[in-house]
Amino acid sequence: MGVPSGYTSAQVVQAVPTGINSALVLISSTTIGNAVSSVTVSNAFSSTYDAYQIVVSGGSASTANTLNMTFGSTTTGYYFFRVFSVYSSGTQSVNNGNNTTSFDVGLGSTHTLNANCFVINPNLAKRTVFQNWRINADSGAVGGFVNGFEDSNTQHTAFTITASTGTFTGGTIRVYGYANS
Amino acid sequence: MATYKIQIDDEVRDATPAEAAVIDAQRAEAEAQAEAAEARAAARQAVLDRLGLTEQEAQLLLGS
Repeated sequence: MGVPSGYTSAQVVQAVPTGINSALVLISSTTIGNAVSSVTVSNAFSSTYDAYQIVVSGGSASTANTLNMTFGSTTTGYYFFRVFSVYSSGTQSVNNGNNTTSFDVGLGSTHTLNANCFVINPNLAKRTVFQNWRINADSGAVGGFVNGFEDSNTQHTAFTITASTGTFTGGTIRVYGYANS
Repeated sequence: MATYKIQIDDEVRDATPAEAAVIDAQRAEAEAQAEAAEARAAARQAVLDRLGLTEQEAQLLLGS
């Protein structure tokens, strides 16, 4: 970073003053193992934050697949709508999940895994609400997004990402919390 | 029942029968959804074929 106007290099702030907090805080970083069918992050959610960002980057899938997410041990009651378009043709699809066992949080290909999920309320006694993109990083595939919620007031601390088919290898799952104040 | 290798935080191990059943259920549901989406796409294409329209022409007409 360059030196801001009006400062000399010796005056660049090297520490954050007390009372100034980062808005987005890294909670955990999990490296995905070799050829696993699912990954659980146990201590992702707590009372410290109401809203979270979950990012999956790098790695690869053994075959094109969907990254299905569940919160805690809840394997029912996911409701969502899903919109996507085929890159090559523009053919669009709008469909839904009605009381499903999971929701699709991202997509995997032999090129990469990717997910970017914004989650609200997972550790509150409220409905957990999520919004995420659905991007297949393959020119012959699709891109879109998924919005929905989990229909209980369960206070979750964990989540699991499961391959719809095949396995995952490598890549990182990072969880960030949005500061409440 | 299929066997799966799962990861809990930094530990990788074989799934228990109960854990494998959850994965099987998710995969069956995903497959059913994919088949339903394919069926809808096929039905849409059949209508377009009967009307003699391309996908792009249908999108122009319907705005979808």
